[in-house]
Amino acid sequence: MAPHELATLYAQLKTEFSAVNPDLQKCGQLLSKLKVGLVQAGLFLPQGDTNLDDLIITREILEIGAFWSIRAKDVPSFDRYFSQLQTFYNDFSSILPPSPRQYPVQGLNLIRLLTQNRIADFHTTLESLPPDALSSNPFIIHPVNLERWLMEGSYSKVWSAREEAPAEEYKFFVDSLMGTIRNEIASCEETAYDSLPVSEAAALLFFKSSNDLIQFAHQRAWQVDLLNQTVLFVRKDEEKVAIPKQKMIVAALEYAKELEQIV
Amino acid sequence: MDHSTSSSRRASGDDLGVQGPDKTIVAPLPPSALTDIKNNVQLIERAVSTLEPRFTHRVLRSLTTLRKRLDATVLKDALEAAYPKDSPTRAALAAYLPTAAEGVGMDVDASSGLTSPEVDTYFCLLFILYLIDNKSLGNAIEIAHQTAEKIHTWNRRTLDSLASKIYFYLSRAHEIQGDASGIRPLLLAAQRTASLRQDDDSQAVLINLLLSNYLSYSLYSQADKLVSKTTFPTSAGNPQLARYLYYLGRIRAVQLSYTDAHTHLQQAIRRAPNAKLAPGFFQTVHKLFIVVELLMGDIPDRGLFRHPVLRKALVPYLRIVQAVRTGDLSQFQSALSSHVVQFTQDQTYKLILRLRHNVIKTGVRSLSLAYSLISLRDICVKLHLDSEEDAEYIVGKAVRDGVIEARVDHANGWMLSHVHRPEGAEGIYATSEPREVFTKRIGFCLDLHNESVKAMRYPLNAHRKELANAEAAREREKELAKEIVDGDLDDDGDGPGMSDF
Repeated sequence: MAPHELATLYAQLKTEFSAVNPDLQKCGQLLSKLKVGLVQAGLFLPQGDTNLDDLIITREILEIGAFWSIRAKDVPSFDRYFSQLQTFYNDFSSILPPSPRQYPVQGLNLIRLLTQNRIADFHTTLESLPPDALSSNPFIIHPVNLERWLMEGSYSKVWSAREEAPAEEYKFFVDSLMGTIRNEIASCEETAYDSLPVSEAAALLFFKSSNDLIQFAHQRAWQVDLLNQTVLFVRKDEEKVAIPKQKMIVAALEYAKELEQIV
Repeated sequence: MDHSTSSSRRASGDDLGVQGPDKTIVAPLPPSALTDIKNNVQLIERAVSTLEPRFTHRVLRSLTTLRKRLDATVLKDALEAAYPKDSPTRAALAAYLPTAAEGVGMDVDASSGLTSPEVDTYFCLLFILYLIDNKSLGNAIEIAHQTAEKIHTWNRRTLDSLASKIYFYLSRAHEIQGDASGIRPLLLAAQRTASLRQDDDSQAVLINLLLSNYLSYSLYSQADKLVSKTTFPTSAGNPQLARYLYYLGRIRAVQLSYTDAHTHLQQAIRRAPNAKLAPGFFQTVHKLFIVVELLMGDIPDRGLFRHPVLRKALVPYLRIVQAVRTGDLSQFQSALSSHVVQFTQDQTYKLILRLRHNVIKTGVRSLSLAYSLISLRDICVKLHLDSEEDAEYIVGKAVRDGVIEARVDHANGWMLSHVHRPEGAEGIYATSEPREVFTKRIGFCLDLHNESVKAMRYPLNAHRKELANAEAAREREKELAKEIVDGDLDDDGDGPGMSDF
């Protein structure tokens, strides 16, 4: 593919993507063509000395690709674009001018890790970000706060923060995040309450109507008393702990063996 | 001693010959630096001829004390003593010395002729140290790279421990210059070679260098991958092992496996060199250790903060610990904000940020222990939470996580703590926990015993002597037996003779 062809494709993608209602399918086609072109131009996995402007354009294409994957609800594809962008953000950070989309992309990645409950990866990624971004960049603060509230149990804050997403793409993750939160809250309620009025339980779980709640209650096998309009949480009796014979025998034999070696 | 007199004579000669800046360096020079180098060269040669790495280790142990006494004159004289005049190594290394030192000390000792690569490497090491100390990093890096390349082509096992030092200072020089990210490929290549050649010394040092390189650029995922792909040589010395364990602890702490991190850091502290000799490492490990312990929900021992080496360095951490212990969120925030610079410098800031919910948990727990019934409103006020709603969720989560035994009464807005606690005085002994703890502790003791048995050093060939003794004893026994037999024969011989009479 000739360089000018690449340039026209890039221009097409840029105009299409920045339109008010971008045609996602068309963007996807353009992106896959562009990727082939980049591989042929040796820019897909840049090595050695490459033109600075080319690198910036490659980075932009990949960034658009990352956003496009989120809009097209294709998380694995986002993952791929993100790992390719890592090279540009880390290894070329000294020669390339910082990208305005770097923090939105990294913030999106953080949210993704959070919704997939990959907390360890979340923190590892966080550690590699500069500390001032952590306290001042809105794209990063958002996921960081969400994680903190989740850990504390301030679920209402997470709920209220869902509308404050700093970028359009963040909202894609809101739904799955809400699912996670509901399950968390539900498991808390099971242990912390004996019973709850249906309306209150719905409010705690952020359901708009009690019908939604009743459906949810069935999923979790809660008893709903429709007469008194209460949800009863049946406590599982703690089963009696049996003596772990196997383990104890193994341990005792192990001690005997070791003792024999010492004496 | 012959060496000391000759070197002092030369030192005085330098005093006369050298003009300008070098004069000040020469004056306080203890004459023994040169002698030390000469002795070390002999030791290294002995190590090479006997294939006994112990001697090389002894030489490297004196490196730190020798380093303080190195200067241009000492190095020049040592070079002249060790190399013949037309040796290319000598010329190459001498070029790095300041020109003022040239033209003196022409009385060359009779050199030992050919020098081994080990001695070459040792001299390069001394030069690198000297150049680093004299802020001439460019030259130090140049020598280090050349030496590393040579080591690679020589491929001699007797070089291993010297090579590891060269790599260490190569990376150190780059670190001071601030371009350490560039040498990663070189270190990785060296690490691969070292592991192929089963060069344990270099391998240990290189893994540590790579880890510290990654961690200083906050590349935790790369560091983690390196750890999972390599095995740290078991024969590595304690200092290297301590460093490795510290890096491992740091990686695990970031990945939220606090129990692992805790074990590694504890081992690192135990393996660390004496606190007075290496206070920096001791303090750094303890800082991280305290944070990890807090994250695990434990409170570090108060005695730790009174340790003479640690007391001053740990003051900011003491305030955090106090805040976590009392569960006071506002105290925690103020401690955090007033020491933020210190924490960022220690690379513990982000870990400490995670402590926030531990503070809340402790707060909830102390409330549930103190009150059998408390309104959510009061919890909210006491823990400085933002709203009652939050308080309810937080209490709910605490109950689910098993932090407290309580119920929430939603209608009245109360938290009811349970009066009877199954996890009470005898409760825990009804579970399997004591057995698990017992197994763990016994396991630790047994490991310790086995490790120390393994770590014992037996002098080489000592059993030969015993064998020889045994051989001699057997010989004597044989002789004795023979004598007895002979005696018997004699007796027998005598017998009939006697009877003839």
